[in-house]
Amino acid sequence: MRSERYIPYVLILPSVLFLLLLFAWPLVEALLLSVRGSGGGWTLENFQRMAADLYFRDALKYTLLLTVVIVPLQVVMALGMALLLGSISKGRDLFLYVWTIPLGISDLAAGIVWLAIFTERGYLNSFLQGIGVIQQPQLWLSYETPMMIFVAVVAAEVWRATAIVFVILVAGLQLIPKEYSEAAEVFGATPWQRFRKVTLPLLMPSLQVALILRTILALEVFAVVVVLGGRNLPVLAGEAYFWYNTYQNPGVAAAYAVIILGISVVATLLYLRLLRSRQDGVA
Amino acid sequence: MAGIRVESIEKTFGKFKALSGVSLEVRDQEFVVLLGPSGCGKTTLLRIIAGLEYAERGRVWIGDRDVTQLPPRARKIAMVFQNYAVFPHLTVFENIAFGLRMQKVSAEKLGAGVERAATLMHIENLLERYPAQLSGGQRQRVAVARALAVEPEVLLMDEPLSNLDALLRLEMRAELKRLLIESRTTTLYVTHDQVEAMSLADRIAVMNTGYLVQFDEPMKVYQEPANTFVGGFIGSPPMNFLRLPVEGRQARIQSLALDLPTGVSSQEVLLGVRPEDLEAHTQQQPQSFPAEVLVVEPLGPHLLLTLSFGKQHIKATVPPDFDVRAGQTLWLRPQPDRLRWLDPSNGQAIPMR
Ligand SMILES: Nc1ncnc2c1ncn2[C@@H]1O[C@H](COP(=O)(O)OP(=O)(O)OP(=O)(O)O)[C@@H](O)[C@H]1O
Ligand SMILES: [Mg+2]
Repeated sequence: MRSERYIPYVLILPSVLFLLLLFAWPLVEALLLSVRGSGGGWTLENFQRMAADLYFRDALKYTLLLTVVIVPLQVVMALGMALLLGSISKGRDLFLYVWTIPLGISDLAAGIVWLAIFTERGYLNSFLQGIGVIQQPQLWLSYETPMMIFVAVVAAEVWRATAIVFVILVAGLQLIPKEYSEAAEVFGATPWQRFRKVTLPLLMPSLQVALILRTILALEVFAVVVVLGGRNLPVLAGEAYFWYNTYQNPGVAAAYAVIILGISVVATLLYLRLLRSRQDGVA
Repeated sequence: MAGIRVESIEKTFGKFKALSGVSLEVRDQEFVVLLGPSGCGKTTLLRIIAGLEYAERGRVWIGDRDVTQLPPRARKIAMVFQNYAVFPHLTVFENIAFGLRMQKVSAEKLGAGVERAATLMHIENLLERYPAQLSGGQRQRVAVARALAVEPEVLLMDEPLSNLDALLRLEMRAELKRLLIESRTTTLYVTHDQVEAMSLADRIAVMNTGYLVQFDEPMKVYQEPANTFVGGFIGSPPMNFLRLPVEGRQARIQSLALDLPTGVSSQEVLLGVRPEDLEAHTQQQPQSFPAEVLVVEPLGPHLLLTLSFGKQHIKATVPPDFDVRAGQTLWLRPQPDRLRWLDPSNGQAIPMR
């Protein structure tokens, strides 16, 4: 029996090696890259250069702003959809499939779809012209209208990535036995009280997963923004790309990557602390 | 004032008929036990009364309100679920307090109510724990305490003591009974433990395969079972059923002739007799019939004998000091006022007149 103890370790070894090779190593490389000067010594030069850059403040601001707007919006919408789905019995699968279609679309394609809507000769202008609201095609996505670009990015991201939150929450809801809700109902809880006192607390672990996943992905938002706004709506991941590609400066690009990583780690830790589900808090 | 009345309840799950026209009345402050084998529809009936399940036919009254269309929370009941349904994210205290919190009672009343219910179920030292840290029996008592805490007029309990050890169950049973009489709670209590049913119930409702078979006082159900099912299900060992030939207005067991109630026209009749109502003698006696002992089982308070009479087997109990061996022939004398006659074609009791 004793000799079988090592078997689980052997079995997880390949995946651990794989992760170390393809994630941990580049991560360490990026970290080193960001703190190494051109001469080879330790330096904060890259970070200073990043902070001094014209685009840095806006990139930071818009990245955080997008995350703060998109993630709660998605969670609320997905939660509503998941709960609605729970009270449907006929045709449930159909709704499930339709709602998860966007999962199969890449972020770049999603950006292009929304570009087709918002561009000068796009669907939105044609529609508004058609019903006579505007006479001339409006320029929605120009550097003069960062708010509009922002709104378009939010719309595209919500459209594209709410489904993943939805899927996580549907799975989470299915794990909650209906007897808890029934017991609450017998003891006098209204539907809202059942949601607040029973469903939501029991859904906390799934909610936590969804929030962490979506926040990390939102902090890395890139393709949709680039398609819809180019650099008119700077974001951190976009800046990393420009510094690496256009300016040929991997050091500053790495600094941006490290900033994104830092914010992601802080956000994750915050979620883990704030949303700790109580029953495993004591286990 | 709140009794429960259900009228011709029918419930099907897909093609399976779980309840076929069950009517039942629990009077105000009465303690009714629902007894029946696994899968006979006890939980389903309870859930329909609670409003958690929807019956295709029939009506439910609680007090003088027709609650058939009302949601569970408007029915003003409390329930102990068979699978407990204790909230895993709340402490024992909060679990017990749940119903009171929904009623928005004051803080003092809430504390006192929880304290009282917890003390009653002997879980007052577990109030800070989470359900994951409790044993099955402790969790079950939390479920009972949660229902008792709201001091309901109508209480539905689905096997609330099934997971406790024998001793604790005995104690809890007595305490529950005392409390519910004191608080004048109308109670419908599900169990498949017949001893529990006999000891607790004002009346027992015996169910089988979706039908209510008999609804009467415990001793009536025990002594005058409505059919062979009830006689066999209640009592341990179960009632004996002997198939006997009919001669005129008498049934014959070898030399012994027993008078039949009026109205038996069939060739044969079933005699239902409880093992303790057969008096065993080693010598031939008047009013007795011989049977050969097959097995002797000492059970403590008495010996359980299995005897053969022709091709039929009979169980009889005798005092523990009764000297008997397998292979011996005994003379059994049935207590004449404890006999039950049944129709062999359908197993129904023949009414005594
Ligand atoms: N949701 C359901 N779907 C299909 N069949 C069901 C459902 N609930 C119960 N049944 C069936 O209905 C019958 C009655 O079930 P019920 O739970 O009322 O039995 P019970 O008398 O409480 O049994 P036990 O003593 O084992 O708890 C069973 O045969 C069961 O298989
Ligand atoms: Mg049951």
